[in-house]
Amino acid sequence: MSDRPLLEVRELRTWYELRRFGFLHQGWVRAVDGVSFVVARGEAVAVVGESGCGKSTLVKTLLGLVRPLRGEVWFDGRRIATAADLRWYRAQVGYVQQDPYGALPPFLTVRRILEEPLVVNGVRSRQEREARVRRALEAVQLVPPEEFLPRFPHMLSGGQQQRLVVARATILGPQLLVADEPVSMLDASVRVEVLQLLRSLQERQHVAVVYVTHDLSTVRHFCERVLVMYAGKLVEQAPVDELLRDPKHPYTQALLTAIPDPDPDNARRLRPVPAGEPPSLVRPPSGCRFHPRCPAAMPGVCEVEEPPEFRVDGLRRVACWLYDPHAVRAPAGSGRR
Amino acid sequence: MAPLLRLEGLRLYFRTAAGPVRAVDGVHLEVGRGRTVAVLGESGCGKTSLARAVLRLLPRNVAEYSGRVWLDGQDLMELPEERFRREVRWVRMSLVPQAAMNALNPVVRIGDQVAEPLWLHGRVRSAAEARAYVEEALRHVSVPADFVDRYPFELSGGMRQRVAIAMALILRPDLVVLDEPTSALDVLTQANLLNVLKTLRGELGTSFLLITHDLATASELADDVAVMYAGQIVEFAPASQFLLQPQHPYARALRAAVVSLREDRTPQPLPGQPPSLLRPPAGCRFADRCAFRFDPCGTPPPRVRAGEGEVACWLFAQEGSRVG
Repeated sequence: MSDRPLLEVRELRTWYELRRFGFLHQGWVRAVDGVSFVVARGEAVAVVGESGCGKSTLVKTLLGLVRPLRGEVWFDGRRIATAADLRWYRAQVGYVQQDPYGALPPFLTVRRILEEPLVVNGVRSRQEREARVRRALEAVQLVPPEEFLPRFPHMLSGGQQQRLVVARATILGPQLLVADEPVSMLDASVRVEVLQLLRSLQERQHVAVVYVTHDLSTVRHFCERVLVMYAGKLVEQAPVDELLRDPKHPYTQALLTAIPDPDPDNARRLRPVPAGEPPSLVRPPSGCRFHPRCPAAMPGVCEVEEPPEFRVDGLRRVACWLYDPHAVRAPAGSGRR
Repeated sequence: MAPLLRLEGLRLYFRTAAGPVRAVDGVHLEVGRGRTVAVLGESGCGKTSLARAVLRLLPRNVAEYSGRVWLDGQDLMELPEERFRREVRWVRMSLVPQAAMNALNPVVRIGDQVAEPLWLHGRVRSAAEARAYVEEALRHVSVPADFVDRYPFELSGGMRQRVAIAMALILRPDLVVLDEPTSALDVLTQANLLNVLKTLRGELGTSFLLITHDLATASELADDVAVMYAGQIVEFAPASQFLLQPQHPYARALRAAVVSLREDRTPQPLPGQPPSLLRPPAGCRFADRCAFRFDPCGTPPPRVRAGEGEVACWLFAQEGSRVG
């Protein structure tokens, strides 16, 4: 197997045009604004960010549902540009939606739902389709398959529905799974089950996973690497253990401070989190987009120029002026915590 | 001292074509003065129905509404609806409904909405007086005073949620029921709002009944935790005991299923799903999923002491340990 990455995204920009009366140009919503990253074969990568940071637009762009304004998506060494590329690409990418019930057609049985991608992709033999449907159900532990095949989505519990969605996404044997908040609609007791299922598929079938979530606490056991997104940009990329142990970007630090652990002392202390809200994506702040809320903001620097991604400790990338190796100033607030 | 709120055998059943749905089925619960009790449960366990039952905000298809609700030593179930509306709801107990931030009237200014209970309950005679109350209430939830003249759409989600809380506090009730106050908000906004609620609790001494599905949120505010399963409370304990040593098998499983950021353990899924509230099992409702199931579980479990709290479970039933 080659060393080249499975998925490579270069300087991706997906902007939505705002029009008045449907035709007068009014501005752009910069939902994804210059995002670059790679995903290796079989790797699980989490994209973490708050609502409105552009993570769903990133997903739509990755799936080829929205055309980016600029930037490139490369898959397995091939640039996805034409309609033919897109057709080839889509057969290799599975999509796990956020709301399982909304993602499943209510009037189709489990058998039909799973057969559909096979029919569309030209699997002619009925026996083969049947065998693959059964294998897919077994892989997501909807067993015995006979019991589930004739059911309709509403006859399944939330966790079972989500496992069916995973089965559908993996039935063509994709190399990449894109999961957009796959567990945010599920109860705590079921959440782990679905995450462990995704993890085991990743390990057994060597599928790469892009796991998009707002919940940083779920990434630890289920991913290798985390990309932190804020206002349309990636602010930090790091291996998951390092990120949780020693967050570099002030936004990542704030996110980690804000997440409570089930600890009885929580009720007796306030959390030191920055006030304010994420900025508008139509008129984002100048310079670093986090600077109006940043406790470590350096006047004269952060609001003037946008920080590029700096390499920190080898594998990590942080878009923050605190980590500028050529700067004269000492990086305040970057000390180990 | 008697608790501020005490529920005894509270029942709320809904009528459906398939029979009564037992959303709240014999709930016992106490909220102490100035304390915060979190009702923790998964979706469909009846926790929102419990909030509605406490405030008597009932839909039309009620099949049964019974039991006792004591507030400050007074049995509220004895009160006719009109007196309940005039003397209790919003005056002594109020509600911040789920997704309250979307419940604000879009065409009424913030100040006028927050002031509405004051006018309805005849607390103020002039607009200037009302405004003073409103500014005070908004200050408690850290909303800038100049927001009174704005409309809801001009505010962010977190700010609107604070306005809804200010509305619930304006008549200074003894108890505020918060139904999932943070679930639709972002992580940082959530942390900010929880800070506001913690400060409030210290400043006003209000009691809170916090309805949530999220264990971490419960740990942020609760003095006591009540774990709800299939329409019943299965464990009621001080928050520290519940978080460190949950007793009831369901509470233990729920605790073990939580994915946490810093704890060094692999979360354990809980197999199976809760029973239907149309035809719940005759005995313990958790028995089918319980790893500790034994003979007595076929009959309803007694409420018994377990550590500093109480549980509804046969495992803990010994001579003299019963509470109710």
